[in-house]
Amino acid sequence: MTDAYLALEGERIVEARARAPGTANGELVFTTAYTGYEESLTDPSYEEQILTFSYPLIGNYGVREERFESDRVQPNAVVARELTDDVAEWLEGEGVPAVDHLDTRDIVTEIRDEGAMKCGIAAGPDATEADALEQLHQCKHMSEHTDIVAQVSVSEEIVYNEGGDGATVALVDCGAKGSIIDSLVERDAEVHVLPYDATEDDIESVDPDLLFISNGPGDPENFERAGEVVDTYVGEVPIAGICLGQQVVANALGGETEKMEFGHRGVNQPVRDLRTDQVVMTTQNHGYTVADPGDDLDVTQINVNDDTPEGLENDELGIITRQYHPEANPGPHDSLSFFDDVLELAEE
Amino acid sequence: MTDDERPTILLIGSGPIQIGQAAEFDYSGAQACRALQEEGARVVLVNSNPATIMTDPEMADKVYLEPINTEAIAEIIRKEQPDGVIAGLGGQTGLNVTAELAEEGVLDEHDVEVMGTPLDTIYATEDREKFRDRMHKVNEPVPQSVTIESMDEVEEAVESVGGLPVIMRTTYTLGGAGSGVIDDMDELKEATRKGLRLSRNNEVMITESIDGWVELEYEVMRDAADSTIIICNMENIDPMGIHTGESIVVTPSQVIPDKGHQEMRDAALKVIRELGIEGGCNIQFAWHDDGTPGGEYRVVEVNPRVSRSSALASKATGYPIARVTAKVAMGKRLHEIENEITGETTAAFEPAIDYIVTKVPRWPKDKFRDVEFELGPAMKSTGEAMAIGRTFPESMLKALRSSEYDPAVDWTEVDDATLESEYLERPTPDRTYAIFEAFGRGYSVEEIAGLTDIQEWYLERYQEVAEAADAAAEGDFYTAGQAGFTDQEITAIAGGEFNDTHRSWLPADVEVDDGDEGTEAAADGGAATESTIPDSVTVETVEAETTDRDFKLVDTCAGEFEATTPYYYSTRDPVSGIDRDELMVDRDVESVVVVGGGPIRIGQGVEFDYCSVHAVRALREMGIDAHVVNNNPETVSTDYDTSDGLFFEPITAEEVADVIEATNADGVMVQFGGQTSVDIGHPLEQEIERRGLDCEIMGTSVDAMDLAEDRDRFNRLMDDLGIAQAEGGSATSEEEALELAQEIGYPVLVRPSYVLGGRAMDVVYNDEDLKTYIEEAVRVSPDKPILVDDFLADAVELDVDAVADGENVLIGGVMEHVETAGVHSGDSACMIPPRSQEIKEVMPRIREVTEQIATALDTVGLLNVQLAVRDGTVYVLEANPRSSRTVPFISKSTGVPIAKIAAQVMAGVTLEELDIQEQIPDQVSIKEVVLPFDRLPGSDPRLGPEMKSTGEVMGTAGSFGKAYQKAQMAVGKPIPLAGTALVDLPVLGYEEHFETVDLDDFEDTDAVVEAIRNGEIDLVLSRNREILEACVEETVTYFSTIESGEAGLEAINSADEPLNVQAIGERPTDQREWGR
Repeated sequence: MTDAYLALEGERIVEARARAPGTANGELVFTTAYTGYEESLTDPSYEEQILTFSYPLIGNYGVREERFESDRVQPNAVVARELTDDVAEWLEGEGVPAVDHLDTRDIVTEIRDEGAMKCGIAAGPDATEADALEQLHQCKHMSEHTDIVAQVSVSEEIVYNEGGDGATVALVDCGAKGSIIDSLVERDAEVHVLPYDATEDDIESVDPDLLFISNGPGDPENFERAGEVVDTYVGEVPIAGICLGQQVVANALGGETEKMEFGHRGVNQPVRDLRTDQVVMTTQNHGYTVADPGDDLDVTQINVNDDTPEGLENDELGIITRQYHPEANPGPHDSLSFFDDVLELAEE
Repeated sequence: MTDDERPTILLIGSGPIQIGQAAEFDYSGAQACRALQEEGARVVLVNSNPATIMTDPEMADKVYLEPINTEAIAEIIRKEQPDGVIAGLGGQTGLNVTAELAEEGVLDEHDVEVMGTPLDTIYATEDREKFRDRMHKVNEPVPQSVTIESMDEVEEAVESVGGLPVIMRTTYTLGGAGSGVIDDMDELKEATRKGLRLSRNNEVMITESIDGWVELEYEVMRDAADSTIIICNMENIDPMGIHTGESIVVTPSQVIPDKGHQEMRDAALKVIRELGIEGGCNIQFAWHDDGTPGGEYRVVEVNPRVSRSSALASKATGYPIARVTAKVAMGKRLHEIENEITGETTAAFEPAIDYIVTKVPRWPKDKFRDVEFELGPAMKSTGEAMAIGRTFPESMLKALRSSEYDPAVDWTEVDDATLESEYLERPTPDRTYAIFEAFGRGYSVEEIAGLTDIQEWYLERYQEVAEAADAAAEGDFYTAGQAGFTDQEITAIAGGEFNDTHRSWLPADVEVDDGDEGTEAAADGGAATESTIPDSVTVETVEAETTDRDFKLVDTCAGEFEATTPYYYSTRDPVSGIDRDELMVDRDVESVVVVGGGPIRIGQGVEFDYCSVHAVRALREMGIDAHVVNNNPETVSTDYDTSDGLFFEPITAEEVADVIEATNADGVMVQFGGQTSVDIGHPLEQEIERRGLDCEIMGTSVDAMDLAEDRDRFNRLMDDLGIAQAEGGSATSEEEALELAQEIGYPVLVRPSYVLGGRAMDVVYNDEDLKTYIEEAVRVSPDKPILVDDFLADAVELDVDAVADGENVLIGGVMEHVETAGVHSGDSACMIPPRSQEIKEVMPRIREVTEQIATALDTVGLLNVQLAVRDGTVYVLEANPRSSRTVPFISKSTGVPIAKIAAQVMAGVTLEELDIQEQIPDQVSIKEVVLPFDRLPGSDPRLGPEMKSTGEVMGTAGSFGKAYQKAQMAVGKPIPLAGTALVDLPVLGYEEHFETVDLDDFEDTDAVVEAIRNGEIDLVLSRNREILEACVEETVTYFSTIESGEAGLEAINSADEPLNVQAIGERPTDQREWGR
């Protein structure tokens, strides 16, 4: 039944069954969410990664486009204990290699103990161990993907809810999930999704009430352009950020980011608000984190498990950022009020 | 903290095991006791069920084995002056009595705070009208429904919820008693009439039927800072309309998209906040795919407390709901409570799991042949088994093996039309097996989905199992192993020999030699599959092809954090290259595997979990690592901190041997888990031998246990010892049976050889009865003989529990049955110490017989002997060198922990070294049983030789009468002290208290039934089945034997004596030896 191979760092070979053929490489990561595979697989933050589902049974309720977060499958390859035919066919159609029938808990605990690692994959009737190894050798570190933003950002401005009654938002697209835009639009905002390399002119022509730095894949250091935008408008326009957006804002304001051992990926990450003591469950998908928020930003929320910063704020400068994904999809809706809060900033 | 500073918390248990309320509250109560003590509380516990771990003296600061009613608890409150009471951990029983205590003003009077969930919330969830109002307030959709208080409103109500079919529900009842989906107006009216009477507040509700929707439950936890989380959700495979306790349930949900799941999660959080619940609770939803991305849902019900589902959720995820609930009630925040499983995270998170859990209910179908086991909104199952696997087929087949259920259906005699109408469309305990059978016959997923309303995702996987069985028959063993079959099952499917106990499902044409089972899955007519496999398929050939079992951790976090708690399940995940060993057990130290008792069922209750837990504790105290194999999610033995290694596995020889191999155990104990564990003794011994494992079956030998169950060998042994037995023998044909019966003289007791809890046992009075019995109840043949014994009418029956070490014998206690011969020992009330003069006179002989049998069986460990005394002669009825259901009762009434002593002895300590004194209690303790007739319409409520009770209570007092009265209170059937009594048994004395009537006062039985229905009769003494059935339906107290009638009269005469509640340990005993 073996017709697929994974080559892990250290040239270790793992045998599996091909469900969608092809070869690929990427950083091997895992998510612990058991629902929301359609949303996860279309989340641009998984660009250049190979996504392992720790939940063994994936694809149980089919594939429906209304549940997608972007217009394509984003990870370079997919690993699960058991993929349904529905999801396997979808991935094959998208040209994304997928494998199952392997002990994915071993993979997950290996990543936990050794960190997110390089991985090559070869799947299909002709796949060989050598193919997988070759892919492994071609695999780059996430930080080496310096152009990654170009792969996930829109190429030109798109406006949603034009003429909407609410705030005007300039969203710098670093690989934004559709639900972020939806959440803003649901609150009547007019959302201008701008390419990552939007100029000051482009932004000024939008004349935004709120500058929004989206989520995105990989190392925030590779998102210099978005950082410059923050630097330019801080204090003038309120700023919001999600996930990589938070990291970009922190870096731009004198903070520092660092790579995590294996990141946070799942829909059960507990976040405690330091002001209310309340804990909520959040969706997360990040491999880097803010190590030092710098002098301008206060840590207002932390991760209950490892104390990493989950919320940064500055009332005077009008900044609110979140490391997690308040827009959910997949995951809990506990912190949807974030969008109300940032739009309130925009109204001020 | 000094004792004065410690807050005193009263924890109310749930009482006896009954349908709808099994061992889960022993687990939650035991966990809560520990958590409360950790938080500095002084815990006072009350429960009437002696078979529980929570009522062990060391579990709480004070333990009261007293009735759970306002009278007894009010007295405990006066004595103990608690600061607070936690009601949400004792099931519906605990909630109800707390509500009553509040209503009667007892809580206010003594300044007792209701901790955790407020009473208002309880009312708001129990009263469906109030519940609907609260849901409307927060804009959550509930099924259309109307509450009515009289029969006149029925038709209008039906119209207002959209017409028939509707669901009729009573409020304030346990496990949905008296509820049902009804599509006929006359039937609805009859059900409503009964429902109005059963309901505590004379209301029933008529609800829109959302039958066929997916039923889900969400387990929610909230603290006082409003941190609110979902521990897990659970999806019923059986659609809406079948009580979740009757459904096969999986965790997490499989067919709900994230959007729908999150919408229900939001609703669950909103609802728990609206209701102000603090601690654990459970919310039920109905969901269906209406074409939108998230689907459509309704909020069905909220349980504002820890429940059976929360026990399941705790075991399924590793999140200890009862523990966290108790700590939240003490004011802790979720993020301040440590997650003991990982040691590095907290209780403020939502568990992530990387396996699928399947729960299968266990029904008492084998015990109630008269009862229709159609599944619906009311519970009929007594317990459940849970299994963990990495795929649904693996998880489900493990759960089916764990449930120890055999459908008594010969599929080869079921035609397609019957299969569809009786087994697929109609939900019964056999439906799972029928689905496999249907796939075997070539039915499609769509066809079966149409008949069953089960989601196709599940059916596709049932089909996969059926196909894997076909593949195994053709020689593809790997696939069958992946699908979850054991090597032994695969060997049987491939035509080889099956050398194990419990099976998941095997195709109808697979022949398995059972020996001890009364039912046969394999039929004579089925043509064997044309197979290319030679006859010589052995388990070795199968093993060579299948994947070895690998043990994986239940870690609450899907591998994200390293876990430190040794809680395991096995899987046959493919071996893919990196093989990580997750076993943390120490293979180099002395260790023992304790085999547990499996699901709760009649004849196999929580008492065997009590015994297993005691064995584990004894071993750990001796410095020996103790590992548990069990599959019952409700129990203390499957709590992750009970043992050094918890293996959540089916109890089969193969799977237990895998645990032995993985842990490198030196010994295995099969004496403590009741019949379940004893059954694997023989095959396990063979399996250990076959694999060449260095592991000993500890204590009494398997051969001695076999001898005790083998009638002929046992007879010879008793003859040799000169111990009297009821005259009898075994017959292999009808002619032989008739001959034997005539020789002994009627009435005779008849039963199949190898009995489980008195299955199919009966008393027959003449040739005709005997012929009918053979025809209807059993098939007699040379390899399935029946036993015919002298009935020993009028003898007094006794139970003795003892521990032997091969040298000496310690008698735990001698119990006299209240009911005489003819009533199964498990159903008879019994007392300790015995009171009849007849027994006192032969006590030395009782001791002698017990000692002789112990020695003759080379008993090392527990021994239960059932005796009968008539005319000064002591007869032995049965001897079982293993744990018995009276072990905890004995231990609680005498203070001598015999299960623990037995484990110590089995591990090599002598009784002499232990130097334990026998104790004879000064007061009288009565064990009384709980019978499930009210839950099983159509069942015969007369006590007989077949066991029917689900659980037990204990009542203790200075006099027999008072103790009996307390026991009846604890059972929930208080004896009325005045009124009208129908006395249809030869018992004199009721006329002094009651206006008595007898059958002559009525035209016919119907008239009696009518009078009972009209509430004209308060107490009944009768053996007339129809009359008793009416009593059951109308909840009129009755006695169905002369002896219980007499005992009842004594209770009435003792009614004026004080209740005299006392904590265990405070009751006086004599350090005397039994029979010396």
